[in-house]
Amino acid sequence: MTLLLALIPILPLFGFLVLSIFGGRLPWKVVATIGTGSVGLSALLTLIIGTVFLSLPSPDGVYAVNLWEWINTGGLTANISFRLDALSLVFIFVVTFVGFLIHVYSVEFMKGDEGFSRFFAYMNLFVFSMLVLVLADNLLLLYLGWEGVGLCSYLLIGFWYKEPANGYAARKAFIITRVGDTAMIIGLFLLFINLGTLNINELMQQASLKWAMGSPLALLTAALLLGGAVGKSAQLPLQTWLPDAMAGPSPVSALIHAATMVTAGVYLIARTHVLFALAPAVQTAVAVIGALTLLLAGFSALTQHDLKRILAYSTISQIGYMFLALGVGAWSAAIFHFMVHAFFKALLFLAGGAVILLLHEEHDIFKMGGLRKKMPVIFWTFLIGSASLAALPLITAGFYSKDQILWFAWSASNGSPWLWAAGFVGAFLTSLYTFRMVFITFFGETKTEPDHQPGKLIVIPIVILAVFSLLAGFIELPGSMGSFHLFSDVLNTLLPSVILSHENVSEIVFQVLASVISLSGIYLAYVLYLKKPALAGSFNKSRISNFFYSGWGFDRVYDIVFVKPVVWLADIDKNDFIDLFSKGIAMVTIFFNKALSLMQNGKVRWAVMALAIGIVFILTIMMNL
Amino acid sequence: MILLDLILILLTGGLLAWITGKWSSILPRIISFIAIAIDLLLTLSIFLKQEGFGHTAWLINYRTNWIPSFGISLHLALDGLSLLLLLLTFFLGLLSVLISWKEIRERVGFFHFNILWILAGIAGVFLSMDLFLFYFFWELMLVPMYFLIGIWGHENRTYASYKFFLYTQASGLLMFLSILALYFIHGRNTGIFTFDYQELLGTSMSAPIAFLLMLGFLAAFLVKLPIVPLHNWLPDAHTEAPTAGSVILAGLMLKTGAYGLLRFVIPLFPEASVRFAPAGMILGVIGILYGAKLAFAQTDLKRLVAYTSVSHMGFVMLGVFAFNTIAYQGVVMQIIAHAISTGALFILVGQLQERIHTRDLNLMGGLWKQTPVMGAMGLIFAMASLGLPGLANFVAEFLILTGTFRANILMTCLASIGLVAATIYSLRIVQKVFLGKEATVWKMKDLSIREKIVCGSLVIVVFWLGLFPQPVINTAKPSVIKTLNSIEQVSINQNTNPIP
Amino acid sequence: MSPSDFLCLTPVMIIAGAPILMMLTIAFTRNYKVIYGFSLTAFSIAFLSLFFILPAIPCRISTLFIFDQYSILFSGIIILASLLITLLSYDYLLYQESEKEEYFIILFIASLGSLLLVAASNFVTLFLGLEMLSISLYVLIAYRRSRDHSIEAGVKYLILASVSSAFLLFGMGLIYLDTGSLEFDKIVPALSSADHSATLLFTGFGMMMVGIGFKLALVPFHMWTPDVYQGAPVPVTTYIATVSKGAVMALLLRFFFAIRGFQNPGFILIITILAILSMFVGNLLALRQQNIKRILAYSSIANMGYLLVTLLIGNETGIHAAIFYIVSYIITSLGAFGVITLLSDRQNDADKLENYKGLFWKRPWVAIVFTLSLLSLAGIPLTTGFIAKFYIVFTGINSGLWLLVISLIINSVIGLYYYLRVITALFSPANEEKLPPVSLAGHLVLGIVAVGIVWLGVNPEGFLSLIAHFSVL
Repeated sequence: MTLLLALIPILPLFGFLVLSIFGGRLPWKVVATIGTGSVGLSALLTLIIGTVFLSLPSPDGVYAVNLWEWINTGGLTANISFRLDALSLVFIFVVTFVGFLIHVYSVEFMKGDEGFSRFFAYMNLFVFSMLVLVLADNLLLLYLGWEGVGLCSYLLIGFWYKEPANGYAARKAFIITRVGDTAMIIGLFLLFINLGTLNINELMQQASLKWAMGSPLALLTAALLLGGAVGKSAQLPLQTWLPDAMAGPSPVSALIHAATMVTAGVYLIARTHVLFALAPAVQTAVAVIGALTLLLAGFSALTQHDLKRILAYSTISQIGYMFLALGVGAWSAAIFHFMVHAFFKALLFLAGGAVILLLHEEHDIFKMGGLRKKMPVIFWTFLIGSASLAALPLITAGFYSKDQILWFAWSASNGSPWLWAAGFVGAFLTSLYTFRMVFITFFGETKTEPDHQPGKLIVIPIVILAVFSLLAGFIELPGSMGSFHLFSDVLNTLLPSVILSHENVSEIVFQVLASVISLSGIYLAYVLYLKKPALAGSFNKSRISNFFYSGWGFDRVYDIVFVKPVVWLADIDKNDFIDLFSKGIAMVTIFFNKALSLMQNGKVRWAVMALAIGIVFILTIMMNL
Repeated sequence: MILLDLILILLTGGLLAWITGKWSSILPRIISFIAIAIDLLLTLSIFLKQEGFGHTAWLINYRTNWIPSFGISLHLALDGLSLLLLLLTFFLGLLSVLISWKEIRERVGFFHFNILWILAGIAGVFLSMDLFLFYFFWELMLVPMYFLIGIWGHENRTYASYKFFLYTQASGLLMFLSILALYFIHGRNTGIFTFDYQELLGTSMSAPIAFLLMLGFLAAFLVKLPIVPLHNWLPDAHTEAPTAGSVILAGLMLKTGAYGLLRFVIPLFPEASVRFAPAGMILGVIGILYGAKLAFAQTDLKRLVAYTSVSHMGFVMLGVFAFNTIAYQGVVMQIIAHAISTGALFILVGQLQERIHTRDLNLMGGLWKQTPVMGAMGLIFAMASLGLPGLANFVAEFLILTGTFRANILMTCLASIGLVAATIYSLRIVQKVFLGKEATVWKMKDLSIREKIVCGSLVIVVFWLGLFPQPVINTAKPSVIKTLNSIEQVSINQNTNPIP
Repeated sequence: MSPSDFLCLTPVMIIAGAPILMMLTIAFTRNYKVIYGFSLTAFSIAFLSLFFILPAIPCRISTLFIFDQYSILFSGIIILASLLITLLSYDYLLYQESEKEEYFIILFIASLGSLLLVAASNFVTLFLGLEMLSISLYVLIAYRRSRDHSIEAGVKYLILASVSSAFLLFGMGLIYLDTGSLEFDKIVPALSSADHSATLLFTGFGMMMVGIGFKLALVPFHMWTPDVYQGAPVPVTTYIATVSKGAVMALLLRFFFAIRGFQNPGFILIITILAILSMFVGNLLALRQQNIKRILAYSSIANMGYLLVTLLIGNETGIHAAIFYIVSYIITSLGAFGVITLLSDRQNDADKLENYKGLFWKRPWVAIVFTLSLLSLAGIPLTTGFIAKFYIVFTGINSGLWLLVISLIINSVIGLYYYLRVITALFSPANEEKLPPVSLAGHLVLGIVAVGIVWLGVNPEGFLSLIAHFSVL
């Protein structure tokens, strides 16, 4: 079994190696088979292992495999070894399964692209890195996966490298996440120096043994890890890279920038939850960051024109919900939302990508419209995804996952009405911008004509994801609706369950509120964007709209505070002022050379004079000493 | 004796290459290749059976008189550290011959003579356990390198070769003064006048004198390393040198500085080193950040890569003055990793220049389309240079920073900013060269088989070191412990703990 | 004088007799080859005869000469160097319009003067040797009188050397006035025990320093050097740089050590200042010079500055270091000037930097020897110059002469720059200029020099023990 576990990441790695070495010379069908097949096999293995894992739980709830000793010196040990528990199971399931669907979709989506094999090589490498990230048994290996997914994200955002803007977006993503990563690696140093290990399990035990609740070291390390999480998961204040990351092909946005990589921060916090529990202040910060991010991104999503940018802001906002959940200690709720979000957001990106593809790379929703009739399958699936995102009550998975978060935001011991209010407003915003997108894109008059219909390879993955977007919610039902806890039961073997503090409040009230707010958002969208577009028009021209549109001006501020000074510094000192030192020495020497050369004029009288001076000098010394 | 043979093979190979260069341009290449290959195989065989050598101070120790009038002996010895560095020397040496196969078309014989003699000098530096002999080799490698830059270099080669020679010579002479002073101090203390490293270890002297002598050694090593503000020779020399020259400069010659710190400065002057440590760390951090900043500003690709060396070597400086095992293993790793990754980047620049005859970043762009293999290589080495986990440099930088963190948290955090900076300049390389729009339309071929072998072997090493670094760590371990022992001695003597 | 005294004089007498025989031959018939062959034979025999007199030493000949191991060693050096210069001169003078035979005669007289100088134990012999050397040099410098700077150089040297000789003589007079003797043996105790009141003695000695300083071209008595180096025929320049300076330095060393000048603060100060000035001025002047002979002239000024350091070391290792340095400087100079000689054609000396552009690609062997010589002058390992400089620094540090040592180090770096300039020229792309052929004798000299430079640079141990054996004063 453990060998099979090792195979899960190795298969995509193998796919990557084959494709990157021979890819250019293989026919596209072979490339597609290797690329999707490797991930498909991993998904299959995941299902097998997952089934076995759930049906025959090992005594410690863990499957582990140790491949080889990586680094071992001076008390620092880190091995290449994988560890499967309930939390990583959820993640590898999403990664391989959703990953596989996206790969299948990509075969058609990317067909004819000159970088076809390169694309699948990168995608396979991404799946491999993501699997390493979630399976790693120590933080160093986790960091390897962490940086690996960052690299793949960079490569895939800039996949169409000829456009300089894509390259810029790619670098922005890499550099900004790297800022967070640097904080994270300092956190690793701190953990190792103080706890003497990097093995996650041992770290958590040591931390709870050695560090008191709220001790400065715990606070510091948690904060540093949070830095990494914030960067990867595009949360405040490092969220600015994600909207630009939409420069990559749509399957990339679906897989990396919606379903999996951007939730790595959620994974990290959940994985090191012991640390965060020891650092209540930081945990509160997680919740606050989540709440602020979800609002901020929600407002921005409301004003975007680019279909994928709307989805990007929506992703930021939804991850904000996950952070909110993590922050209030609703660990499994966060993971649940992660999973459900992976389904519906991948769906939305894939369906949206199909729209864009069929409309010849048209991203602007205001140039779409009326697509409901033109591409019915895409419309219906997109609608399902949107409904799930907008948390349409009862029938969508998104409702169950988001409702749980809203409930815990209020009722958990760490929760507060403020956090709940933020989530509540966010929910309203979500359904508003989601259905704004739906109404503008699929209703109204047709502005651009699609020239063909999507093929099977595009449709099937979308439909499967649509089914999951609806049904996945039923594995975790709230207490008020049958109290079915399949998902959290599995996770609670690992993650602590929520401590409630407001038992007196009835959960059902919150569900009703959430339903109402979701429906009213949809209604408002209907009014604003379908019935009376003039109302929205005046808002669109307003300053505040521009402010939201630009992502609250973060880019401009960062440009002034960080980018400009660095470029300025680089420019003024391109030739390295320290070099003047060596130039100066050369100048002084040459000056002496010139001065002395003047005396060396070949005249005998000068020579005699020098001689005379010499005598005077010698005799003077002789007389005086 | 085998150690002497290693050097003699290179020296005679060089002479042979030179002589045969009169008649053929292929013979010198083959001779050099064979000479270096023999050395590489010999060293590899030592590496593979190092367990068999027992656990004495040295794996191999060879000593005979040279100039007994001055107490100078021909003392060559090999331990794990030197073994690794020798492997690196011969590996990069072999690649240097291969990459020059097409690039160097004129005066082939003399070119290979210089290559082999530089390698001999470097190998000598890594093996000498007599300080006079060490200095002898230290200087010996300069002249052929001077020729390499001055004859086969690019446009501004004369200036660069002078600067290189004068900087290194001036600093080397300061070290020489220190060596002599050490010799006399030891001689007067004990009556034994000798340059032998082993004997001179633990020479007792007053703290100010020790500090002064250490500064002499530091001058030589920090110029070689190089550390800001002593780095100005480097960008010029690296930029103007032919590719093989740049590879050897960056891959090996800078490493002699790092080696010198570990082998000589710390063990000979442990107390002074401890006193110097804060300043050393600050210098390291300045090097990391300032080097990265300068790298970012360059438009000449080769110059850019050259400045990244300044930045990367800052990590070495930082690690050396952290005085603990993890940091030292990191330093050893960084020495090797940087040699491979930066050497590889220089090789790529050379391959580019061979094809498009420019190094100006503004004239490049979009080259991936025509040369995907080269692009992929460039990407891998750029990633190595920014410290992507799984590649060699990450192991090195992680170990150094972890070790340093124990010694000085502030410096480590500042140095970590270098990781972000490295990302910025490394991505700039990839973007400006391979991605984006084509600034100029070039017609160029992708890598040839020979070039693929060169780059491929470097890729393999980068990954091997990144994923299986343990053999290297194990080999370096005894040397690291030995170096650290001298520091621990200090803390025992002083009854205080200099290592926080 | 006993028979054994005569035995001791054999080499000197051979060198003294040779020119007479040569003159007689010329009276018969002028044959360049015969004279050349005769010179070679005479120098060789003189050199071999040194080995025969080894058992007889040390011997004193009245109060005039002392033949001890020290002077034998220097005699050997002088004769060998003269021999090599003779080899170099043949081709150089081959196309001289007329009367080239006398050149060798004068060369012998100059060598005779040098031999007397290193064996002098009396002011009379000292002055005799020095003047014999100087007057020969006047003639030799102006030997190719049809050339541009030849006469000018000769006259300059004549005037300035006369002035300096005058001071030397005056100084001797003053010392004689004070001590009543011209013998070293009597003057040495007087000088080494003299106190401040001995004004006459010190003034005399100071004035002698001028004479010596002039011959060694120490700053500020150096002004003649570049002009004379440039104007003189190259073999003569070689002679000035090697034999003449070597002999004078040998004398200075012997005398300075005998009077224990390194204990006298006045002497220390003077030597220190002269040394540092010579190093800096010599090297700085050479930096941008385009004429190779002038570069080497300035380099010789600096080198004599380095050599002065050995005077202050104050024990026998100082003498060892000095001898090693002198030998290595002579070999190196023979290499450098030898190349210039061999590349000079009928009309002009190859003394411009352009003449050497790309030499390595046209005449690799010649260029290698030149490079080796320059590297040796710069003190780079693998060459004798490195060991020589090392030896001075080594002994200097041992004696705590930090100021001098550091200034030597700084100057090594400055000097390196102009040596590199020449080397760069050698290795730069070749020009079209035709080069004269190099004779077998030329190759022989270059070969000897190259082997010498590398051998002493790599394995100096044998020579070091030889010096240790022979340098007993």
